[in-house]
Amino acid sequence: MSINLIFCSIIFSLFIVIFILSLLRKDKIKIKYSLVWLVLFFLLFISLMIPNLLDFITNLLGFKTASNMVLSLFIAILVVINITLTVIVSTHDKKIRLLIQEISILKKEK
Amino acid sequence: MKRVLLIIPSYNEEENVLSNYQRILDYNKKNKTSYDAIVVSDGSVDGTEEICIKNNIPYISLIHNLGIGGAVQTGYKYAFENGYDIAIQFDGDGQHDVRYVKDIIQPILNNEANMVIGSRFIDKNSSDFKSSKVRRVGISIISFFIKVVTKKKVYDTTSGFRAIDKELIKRFSQNYPVEYPEPVSTTEILRCGYKLKEVAVSMNERENGVSSIRAWKNVYYMLNVVLSILVIGMRRIKK
Repeated sequence: MSINLIFCSIIFSLFIVIFILSLLRKDKIKIKYSLVWLVLFFLLFISLMIPNLLDFITNLLGFKTASNMVLSLFIAILVVINITLTVIVSTHDKKIRLLIQEISILKKEK
Repeated sequence: MKRVLLIIPSYNEEENVLSNYQRILDYNKKNKTSYDAIVVSDGSVDGTEEICIKNNIPYISLIHNLGIGGAVQTGYKYAFENGYDIAIQFDGDGQHDVRYVKDIIQPILNNEANMVIGSRFIDKNSSDFKSSKVRRVGISIISFFIKVVTKKKVYDTTSGFRAIDKELIKRFSQNYPVEYPEPVSTTEILRCGYKLKEVAVSMNERENGVSSIRAWKNVYYMLNVVLSILVIGMRRIKK
């Protein structure tokens, strides 16, 4: 990967980590949900900072270029995170329905 | 004497709610029956609830719109908490006829069924209103998949006119498919080994308002229903 690209990526991952931390500080995100993002971008940051680590992983996984490897890996991870979020939304759906029904029945009985 | 509850899910049905309820009262008086009814207003924003208050119609007002499945389930919860023996879904738009209630509860009273579906397609002459051709094709496709998954033939898979017994009231009040409730719950209970019966009824065309299933949504609806049925086929059975 070119030095420019690495530089941009480092800036970006730093930005994301700071952003997540500020969300945490303002209590806008739960710790358990922030963890996955922090770990993800921390790992990206580390692998960008250590020279040749990125190229080593790229060869190991059989990619032609490091940028391809980062891109593919990120898409894969994002898909997993997204599916997890859909599951979370579905359980929230259920809980909200239960609340609406029970409150509505309670209101009727009074 | 078994206690029977008619659950009337209503979303913005101000034109129908009173006449519908009145017909049930008239029928009770004439035939010495004592069907209770409860309107479940699914977050209606028109005058449905005012009409209920003014005319002393028992109703539950959902504080937010849940869709037909969530509304009917609220009715089942109410039936369960108040110890009803039979609960009947009775649509708020005037499609269902209270005169058939005695027919659809009969198999439950005879212990022949846990659920009875008021069906438009059993007896060829029973119903003037059999819904559109497209709809009928859809219904038979759903019927085919239910047969594949449960090995049982159900003719009117989307009929909302259904009676359930005490056991199913308990089950549905805890766990009811809120999306595409009719075909999905039918498949579920058949897989779990409950007894199902279909009884010929005739349905009226909607008096006022529009049906909740729109034409352009049909394909999407079919995909979802078929997928839901197949998923139930893959589930492990727990009664």
